[in-house]
Amino acid sequence: MNSVAREVATAGRELAESLSGEQLFVVTERSRAGEGAGKVLLVDGGEEVEGDPDLIAEALARAATKKRPSAILVGATRTGRIVAARLAAKLRLGCLSDVYRLRLQGTSIVGDRDVFAGKVVAEVKADLPCVATVKVGTYPMMSEGRTGLEVEEVGSLHRGVRLVETLEKRESTTDLRGASVIVSAGRGFRTKEDLRLAEDLAKALGGALGCSRPLSSDYGWLPEELHIGLTGVTVKPSLYFALGISGQLQHVAGIKESKVIAAVNTDRDAPIFQVADYGIVGDLYQVVPAILEILKG
Amino acid sequence: MELRVNASGTPDLSGAPSKMSTFDKNAVEESIRLKESSGGSVTIITVGRSDAKKTVKEALAMGGDRGYLVVVVAEPDPHDSLTTAYLLARAIERAGPFDLVLCAEGSSDIYAGQVGPMLSEWLALPFLGYVRKVEIKDRVIRCEQTLEESVRVLEAELPALVSVVSEINEPRYPTLLQIMQASKKPIEEVGSELLIDGRAPPRLVTTVGMTAHAMSRKRVIFEGSPEATSRKLVEALRSEGVLKR
Ligand SMILES: Cc1cc2nc3c(=O)[nH]c(=O)nc-3n(C[C@H](O)[C@H](O)[C@H](O)COP(=O)(O)OP(=O)(O)OC[C@H]3O[C@@H](n4cnc5c(N)ncnc54)[C@H](O)[C@@H]3O)c2cc1C
Ligand SMILES: Nc1ncnc2c1ncn2[C@@H]1O[C@H](COP(=O)(O)O)[C@@H](O)[C@H]1O
Repeated sequence: MNSVAREVATAGRELAESLSGEQLFVVTERSRAGEGAGKVLLVDGGEEVEGDPDLIAEALARAATKKRPSAILVGATRTGRIVAARLAAKLRLGCLSDVYRLRLQGTSIVGDRDVFAGKVVAEVKADLPCVATVKVGTYPMMSEGRTGLEVEEVGSLHRGVRLVETLEKRESTTDLRGASVIVSAGRGFRTKEDLRLAEDLAKALGGALGCSRPLSSDYGWLPEELHIGLTGVTVKPSLYFALGISGQLQHVAGIKESKVIAAVNTDRDAPIFQVADYGIVGDLYQVVPAILEILKG
Repeated sequence: MELRVNASGTPDLSGAPSKMSTFDKNAVEESIRLKESSGGSVTIITVGRSDAKKTVKEALAMGGDRGYLVVVVAEPDPHDSLTTAYLLARAIERAGPFDLVLCAEGSSDIYAGQVGPMLSEWLALPFLGYVRKVEIKDRVIRCEQTLEESVRVLEAELPALVSVVSEINEPRYPTLLQIMQASKKPIEEVGSELLIDGRAPPRLVTTVGMTAHAMSRKRVIFEGSPEATSRKLVEALRSEGVLKR
């Protein structure tokens, strides 16, 4: 089971307990049938679904029509957001997105989510049954342990979009979740090769490497799942180390729960210093080697 | 939408001027580029209060040909994406035949990423989400979709619906002349009540609370030589107990 699924499983178990219900872990691919945290339902559309949000949404919709779950939780990844939205529209259910701290309130589910670039936390409510995507990085990962497998044949699925080829495949990492130290790189880095400085610091601190959105999206220097913030993952390390990151609200939204935030930035007026516990006004190309030297000594 | 926060810490949404979401500029830009390369025309459609007309005009100045504004009297719940998508679907149908619908991966206000895929369900269109590159040839759209775990090349027949990511292009800034010319472009307005029919989804999602997020940090800033500042920082982090060694 991947790390996102294990977080969603934790959120699901909590809800199932408060509903005095049963938790069902649903997979749409045969290769995943052996995974799960509790009872596993394999929704079989007779075809390799292969991360195709179209097919996953349709398969889940058919299974849900039979099983009638109170809530369907999906990880708030890009695939997950598409799946959840399409599923909700097919089933005409309310859909909460990118929520955390999910809780039962009467016959509704309430969750928190970051809005307006993270300046505001909104409480949103959906009547049961509903669909929700769970913000990545906000729940602890459940350990695996399968108790039973059930197979639901849902018939052949309609593919609206053809997959021509896969250009890149990336291994999913769990680096950022659970990490007690995160060193995060921003546009203060001039080349991809220079990221080695951030990696070295992460290694010296026994931590993981993360980044701001432009590094993964605009430059493609790091995988999308390593970007932190509103559109990426939420992190909660003891130490968050921001290198060459300006500290725009959308980024800061993902680091609010860090115990200590440290920042290195050449610009004394960078907003990151407003949200940091400790900051160095300086050039990361000089400061990081100096820190590494001190840590070595 | 811009936001003010009251002294009490509750966000004040009333009177906040609406403006175009950052990523929606990428969607508008891409539609104009497609028009420039393949012909056709671009209709800008939005659901909002009457002051959302400003947003429509902004997109017309970038190169859109006509606007279509679904005016909602009372602000629809920003988290009720299913209803917003439904209103957009009905508006798109009323606006006339089309080949392609473009939206952004997520809005600046709430970044739910829900309206696009929901819209594709209401319009029964193939959905190509999180797209960083679009090509159209012989009524077939080919896109590069960027997901966390993979980058995939997808194809579908038109009409289709695409949601773009921010790296797809660099949105243009309209010139003063374009801004002036945009005010002459037609904008049709329709009240949302005219689009709600028997097939509209029930309103199932509501916002029940909003709290401004406050974060208090120590904000200790070190200035000086790299060596001196680094030493102070490492000491501070040690005394916080967040360094393993
Ligand atoms: C709807 C929406 C959602 C978004 N979601 C996210 C998100 O989830 N995560 C995210 O990160 N962003 C997100 N963004 C983008 C965000 O607004 C910022 O553009 C982004 O965070 C900026 O990244 P940055 O700090 O790396 O780059 P910049 O803002 O360009 O900052 C670079 C910083 O590096 C400093 N610098 C330059 N050289 C050096 C040097 N040699 N040494 C030290 N410092 C140096 C500069 O002073 C500057 O402060 C979102 C935007 C929108 C509109
Ligand atoms: N009221 C609206 N009017 C027009 N387009 C919208 C509206 N709300 C959302 N969208 C489109 O759907 C995208 C995703 O929105 P959201 O689901 O709110 O993150 C936005 O970037 C827009 O392209």
